Amino acid sequence: MIELNGIRYAWPDAPTVLDGVSLSVREGEKLVLLGANGSGKSTLLKLMNGLIAPQTGSYSYCGEAVTPARLKQGAFARRFRSEVVLLFQHPEAMLFNPTVRDEIAYGPRQLGLPDAVARAEHWAAALGLAPLLDAQPFSLSGGQKQKLALAAILALEPRLLLLDEPVASLDPRASGWLVDFLLDCGKTVVTSTHNLSMASELGERAFVLGEGGRLLFDGPLQDALRDRALLEAANLVHRHRHRHGGDTHAYMHAHTHSHDWESSR
Amino acid sequence: MRATRWLLAYLAAVVAVTFIHAPWLLAALLVLALAASGAGRWRIARRAVLAVLTFNLTVSLGYAAVSLWQGNFSVVYLLLVNLRVLLMVYLGFWFVARVNLLEAVRFSPTLGFVVTLAAGQIEAFARALRDFRLAFASRNAAAPALSARARHAAAQAGHLLDKSVCMAAETALAMRSRGAFDDYAGLPSPACVRGPGGEVGPVWRPRRPGVVTAYKKP
Amino acid sequence: MHIPDGFLSPQTYLPATAAAGLAWAWAARGLRRSLDEETVPRLAAMTALAYGLGLVMVPIPGGTSGHALGVAMLGLLFGVRLGFLAYSLVLLLQSLLFGAGGITALAVNALAMGLAGSAAAAAAFGALRRLNETAAVAVAAWVSVVLSGLFVALALGVQPLIAHREDGTPLFFPFGPAITLPAVLIPHVFIGAGEALLTVLVWRFARARKWLTPPAGGRGAGGEGLERA
Repeated sequence: MIELNGIRYAWPDAPTVLDGVSLSVREGEKLVLLGANGSGKSTLLKLMNGLIAPQTGSYSYCGEAVTPARLKQGAFARRFRSEVVLLFQHPEAMLFNPTVRDEIAYGPRQLGLPDAVARAEHWAAALGLAPLLDAQPFSLSGGQKQKLALAAILALEPRLLLLDEPVASLDPRASGWLVDFLLDCGKTVVTSTHNLSMASELGERAFVLGEGGRLLFDGPLQDALRDRALLEAANLVHRHRHRHGGDTHAYMHAHTHSHDWESSR
Repeated sequence: MRATRWLLAYLAAVVAVTFIHAPWLLAALLVLALAASGAGRWRIARRAVLAVLTFNLTVSLGYAAVSLWQGNFSVVYLLLVNLRVLLMVYLGFWFVARVNLLEAVRFSPTLGFVVTLAAGQIEAFARALRDFRLAFASRNAAAPALSARARHAAAQAGHLLDKSVCMAAETALAMRSRGAFDDYAGLPSPACVRGPGGEVGPVWRPRRPGVVTAYKKP
Repeated sequence: MHIPDGFLSPQTYLPATAAAGLAWAWAARGLRRSLDEETVPRLAAMTALAYGLGLVMVPIPGGTSGHALGVAMLGLLFGVRLGFLAYSLVLLLQSLLFGAGGITALAVNALAMGLAGSAAAAAAFGALRRLNETAAVAVAAWVSVVLSGLFVALALGVQPLIAHREDGTPLFFPFGPAITLPAVLIPHVFIGAGEALLTVLVWRFARARKWLTPPAGGRGAGGEGLERA
């Protein structure tokens, strides 16, 4: 469905965040993007959403090259924008309409899809926002904003969902809901996270980015979670002292006990 | 557009009030506004009185002192200016209580977006600054020095600068992601709209009634 | 220090609103030319920034503190046009969204603080930066506060002269310039000193973060700010 080849990207006046990254995602796949803070997860998702263009490398969606010039052509832009959507890490960035209803209806309206208001009401209900349809988006709580941002992109009924740290600001119940939804929705989903406990819930294939924006691993998620050297190299786990039955080890030692993400197999 | 009409009515009302110079008429209008504004009237009135208290008290006392000394004191003036200010501020709070401003300014889409985005960020900034202030208080047992207070003020301003630049860039991307900057008006309506049974048609229907989940929704 | 509703006569605020309308059109046109699709988010962010700066407490020599004006900072970092528009929007939000501030006095406040404040800061900085940059920033901030105060004091002070009954009783603000000028300007001389201190510190911070070069995203902010220098 999407194909990235030899991507290199650096923000202006900043070191390279992605360096020689190649990746392909098939329709229906649930892919988890793992990496520590600053490893380039958000940048990669913005690239997949066609919001920024790589300095080198190529990106194609359903066999068609995605470039800034291509995205200026109305028909392609409309198809791409309604089929590939991105949930930003900070949902505040996405909320700019006067009411919850308008916020959800905005995308369908802007892209000329039919029944924008019906969609808004449906997706607000699906995410438990129905009582808030006339509320101002900025007056919502953090978790509600996250759900609203999600409703706003789901209203487009996209084929590919790109989610940037979607569970970071959700409480356990809401993130549980999100996990269920993602598994049921039958769409292609790429989710970024550095939360290993949640990772195995979010997909079956892992893509691990290391520091310096290099690809460290691409394969089954369970293999990645079992590979302690890989996780340590990606800065996703580290050695630290542990309490065992009230006894705190005073010296550094490697983990020999099971963590929750290992037992969730 | 209803909200925009309310905005225009409010603007017309406050302008009209500034042309009235008879205290009894202003008092009558204030009573009328109180009667018309429903159950929340005393809450609005309380807010309005509190909002004007400091400035009006200062001006009124100052006027009384100066004019008594000069021998041209006028109780009518004091009534006039205080009733006018109270009525205008009451109208303002009443408008805010019943109309969503973000909808009222949508006669200009650009203004609507700017105002909505700014309101959202202001909320986040106000929260961050509250934390800054609390953190400063918790780290200062005694009264902080002028230099520390200046550095603290600068740190707050710097934080706001940083955040607003990040936010501007991020919001631009988020808006582009949802097609905000493209114009699709010239394109034909999208042909491929899938209904619940997979049929193609111009009318959208929800694909499933709800989302099945093992978790209870809040 | 902004003027609330009910103290300005229509003969003041109606012409001021017309003048402010022209100034807004000028500022918005300039922005559109220089910014394209980032205009909306950037203007929104600057408005929030202007509001937030107004919440920061500036230490004033002598132990008290007051709210920062911040308009010098906006004018110096992002240009007069953006500073003026952002400040005007703050006044709009304060009066219509949070119910604090005067809608009839909005134009006078926007012209006195937003436009005069940021333009004075930019002009003072431009004139003095060759001598000493830090001093130029400090003077620019001080001048912007004092000049804004001067305009506010004048707008209030002319009220009893232009709007009164036949017997001389005032209809709006009661004090003439002989009272408003010292009453507003003397405290603002000190508030300006606090603002100058704050602006210098933020200027250093901005430079340390390479903020005076165009920020991430490529283009400079206001088209006429200092990032070109």
